[in-house]
Amino acid sequence: MWTYDKKLQYPVKIKNPNPKLAQIIISQLGGPDGELAASMRYLNQRYAMPYGKVTGILTDVGTEELAHLEMVAAILYQLTRNLSQEEIAGTPFATYFVDHTTGLYPVAASGVPFDMKYVGIKGDVIADLNEDLAADGAIT
Amino acid sequence: MLRPSNYNCNRGNCRNDMKMLRALDFAIQETVLYLDAYPENRQALQYYHQLMEKRRELAEAYERGCGPLTMYGNQSHTSWDWVEGPWPWEADAN
Repeated sequence: MWTYDKKLQYPVKIKNPNPKLAQIIISQLGGPDGELAASMRYLNQRYAMPYGKVTGILTDVGTEELAHLEMVAAILYQLTRNLSQEEIAGTPFATYFVDHTTGLYPVAASGVPFDMKYVGIKGDVIADLNEDLAADGAIT
Repeated sequence: MLRPSNYNCNRGNCRNDMKMLRALDFAIQETVLYLDAYPENRQALQYYHQLMEKRRELAEAYERGCGPLTMYGNQSHTSWDWVEGPWPWEADAN
């Protein structure tokens, strides 16, 4: 199980809203190499791991990715605070706003919603760790 | 008794304690990942316990004066402070 820590892993304090920047950063929330994909990758791969050390790393790194997800969400939340429709119109964020307003919905920068198709889980230690290397550069 | 306003206390203690807590937790996180891969490393294990001792003290002080860090940390018997803001993703909390 998990328990929520009521704090960010690293503080986020944004002074100026910026919908254009939010439309780029949102890919780190719901894109193919985003934090949601990373956490789903590690947390679902861990069941097939034959070694305690690797299971431990996948559990702890997968959990940390959820903390990263929250920091990215905090960035997006603060970048899109108190925006008027005029400030959003004409920016790349406008099409997202049509469906979600400023609610946080995990999508890629292209607007494609988050998909587990981004993640490889094969039940094989070598295949899965190679997937992790390809996706994240390293698994830690 | 704890008041929600203590979370944003003017003395700045809560903000400073939170900053220190984040730094400690980051060090603990990295030490844990190292220990996952090298569980036999006594030096790392000792470092983990050093950090944890500081964390226990700081977390206890924070929860007493500023509010719960987890759902297990509501110190007050007269108010449910867990739902008092600001929440971590709000600029005011950082």
